[in-house]
Amino acid sequence: MIRPPDPQASPQSRRHPRRWLRGCAVGLAGAVLLAACGGGGGDDDSSDADGPVTITWANWATAEQTTKPAIEQVIADFEAEHPDIKIESEAIAFSDIAQQLVRRTQSGNPPDIAQLSGNDTIALAATGALAPLDQFVDDELRASINEADLENGTYEDELVAFPWVDSPQGFWYNKTLMSQAGLDPAAPPATIDELNDAMAAIKQAAPDVTPLALDTTNRAFGMTSNWAWMKTFGAEPFTEDGAQADTPEYTAYLEWMRSLAENDYIVTGPKIGEFRPRAAQNQVAFMWDQNLLQGVIQETNGMSDEEFFDTWGVTTLPTGPAGESYSVDLGHQLVMFGQSEHQEAAWTFIEYLATSENAIVNYTLAEGASLPPLSDPQGEVAELMDTPVNQAYVEQIMPTSTKPPYGQAFSAAYDPVMAGLQRILTSDASIDEVAGATHDQLASVVE
Amino acid sequence: MSGASSTRRFSRKRGPEHRPWLDWMVLPGLVAVGLVIAYPVVRTFQLATTDYNALSGMDPRPVGAENFQKLVDDPIFWEALRNTAVYTFGSVAVSALLGVLLALLTENLVGRSRILKTLLLTPWAVPFVVVAFLFRYMFDEQTGVVNAVLLQTGVIDEAVPWLVSSTWALPAVVAANVWTQTPFFFLVFSAALAAVPNEVIEAARVDRTRGWTMAYRIKLPYLRNAALVASLLMVISNFNDFAKIWAMTEGGPGYASTTFVVWVYRLAFTSFDLGYSSAIGVVWLVLLMVFAIAYVRLLRREA
Repeated sequence: MIRPPDPQASPQSRRHPRRWLRGCAVGLAGAVLLAACGGGGGDDDSSDADGPVTITWANWATAEQTTKPAIEQVIADFEAEHPDIKIESEAIAFSDIAQQLVRRTQSGNPPDIAQLSGNDTIALAATGALAPLDQFVDDELRASINEADLENGTYEDELVAFPWVDSPQGFWYNKTLMSQAGLDPAAPPATIDELNDAMAAIKQAAPDVTPLALDTTNRAFGMTSNWAWMKTFGAEPFTEDGAQADTPEYTAYLEWMRSLAENDYIVTGPKIGEFRPRAAQNQVAFMWDQNLLQGVIQETNGMSDEEFFDTWGVTTLPTGPAGESYSVDLGHQLVMFGQSEHQEAAWTFIEYLATSENAIVNYTLAEGASLPPLSDPQGEVAELMDTPVNQAYVEQIMPTSTKPPYGQAFSAAYDPVMAGLQRILTSDASIDEVAGATHDQLASVVE
Repeated sequence: MSGASSTRRFSRKRGPEHRPWLDWMVLPGLVAVGLVIAYPVVRTFQLATTDYNALSGMDPRPVGAENFQKLVDDPIFWEALRNTAVYTFGSVAVSALLGVLLALLTENLVGRSRILKTLLLTPWAVPFVVVAFLFRYMFDEQTGVVNAVLLQTGVIDEAVPWLVSSTWALPAVVAANVWTQTPFFFLVFSAALAAVPNEVIEAARVDRTRGWTMAYRIKLPYLRNAALVASLLMVISNFNDFAKIWAMTEGGPGYASTTFVVWVYRLAFTSFDLGYSSAIGVVWLVLLMVFAIAYVRLLRREA
């Protein structure tokens, strides 16, 4: 059927319908290109001089159900105190945040602030994406923060991450299970040999109980969790000087780990978070975990503080052949991106989260179940920190803290190290062969 | 007007006519394809010839074929290649076999019993991540139903750590994949069986062909093309499957269930070694393309 000419159409388009269509097609293609290339290039509300400044904050605190209500309340309190600053929280899972931030930085779209931890902080600092914070930290503030925490956030002599919460790993022991196994609950294992004896006793008394809960997953967090154990054997699979997985110390560590697997003292595979519910059911005797374990256990089984302290204790890592205890602080830090256009406002929020009494009392020491980075806490904060667990962390465990060689090499090295460890735990592969293969892979990736 | 000229005019009106301006209508599509497909592929080939780690803060450094040389010498590459082949072809072989068996067994269902066919298709509708977690719990060493059943029936003496065993992790993941993929083959083979000409079946019956002989000699040859197409689709799907493996084992323990896609993910998104991971991506792409071309040629020859 032939359509009648459209009386509304322009005379030109009526005369040259093909040219008109061709123009539309080219125009559409151009629009697609512009949309693809120019996305995100427009101004947003945050740059509006008349309204409040909007700070974007990438974090996992609002992504986790246990911490979300508390941190949202802290944000609301901050906004009430600072009506000229609005916080736009971006909830990202802990395991995804580093890769998302690297990609966003590369595409020129990072948030203003992010919550980071462990290797992720230094790895991101190595990209040059983070803003130095030294200009914001005066002497008084610097003196009020733990020196080790400031050191953990320093990269190439610049403070790039401000400590938010301390969360070192400690050696938790279940006093009830120890008593049932005929062990003295007031004397947790102080050496690896004592730990071996204790695990044997636990296994014999309660075969269904996991004697030692340790994260052996193949991820950077997994290697961080095992770093202190390696070091107490005098082993470091790699350093700034290169791969060192072919040393007798590393072999001794692997032999001990193999013995744990052969005796069913550990369970390979679960993340540390998957052990926590079992710990709450008295199914774990010893556990290498952060201080947030207390909050998870009490939330799971409804224990009171008194019941918890009667059941669980925490102390330093049993010492190995090296004769030293170690711990790694898996605390959270706050970083500011160099591309942020509102660095003053961003810093105001960072300082509030890390040092204000409201944030510490209602988040850090409450739902965050961590410790503030303060060197000399006062008032209500000091009162809340006065518990057996917090005291053990502050007085015994934190002084043993060591910092793994975080950075690009760590990001590349965790896979060979943890894959090798998993082979030790789940197969009968020769220890020398696994150590040699790990060493070769490390030599390749750590350079 | 002569009859011949009338016919020519008619042909010009109704027949295929080349309209050059219509070619321009393809432009937006081409631009879109160029942006979302061609650019990443070209960029991957380019990055594969560089030493580039996104965490280094440095620009990519050209290294020629160094990444490919490293790949050949890398034992993980060969382990990942073997695992990818086992996962891909093992899943397809078992799923296709089960699919054809189920299709033959349910071919003659009538009435309400046909609901069984619908039930058999349900695993196909379950999201892959849900399947992965379902099987993760089923294969749990302590609480999983698989160990419970095998222990109860005396098949095994002690619980098997399926997903954290260097021996059993990959077969366990293949089992989960077979469960979710069999309905697809069942659907394809059921449709193909329905298309077998009645005359052929009747003729075979006249010749007193029954049971296994009927299935093997008469029906199965008609399923060949369907099997080829379905297998190709599933081979490509399995080759690229990430969700199930990652959710069940994350490629472990060690590298026992690490396939190409899992390895590339680790290298690219946790170690940020974009140069080396791009080289693996190139090999992966080439392998898939070679396989797909060979398959399509085979299909044409069969046709």
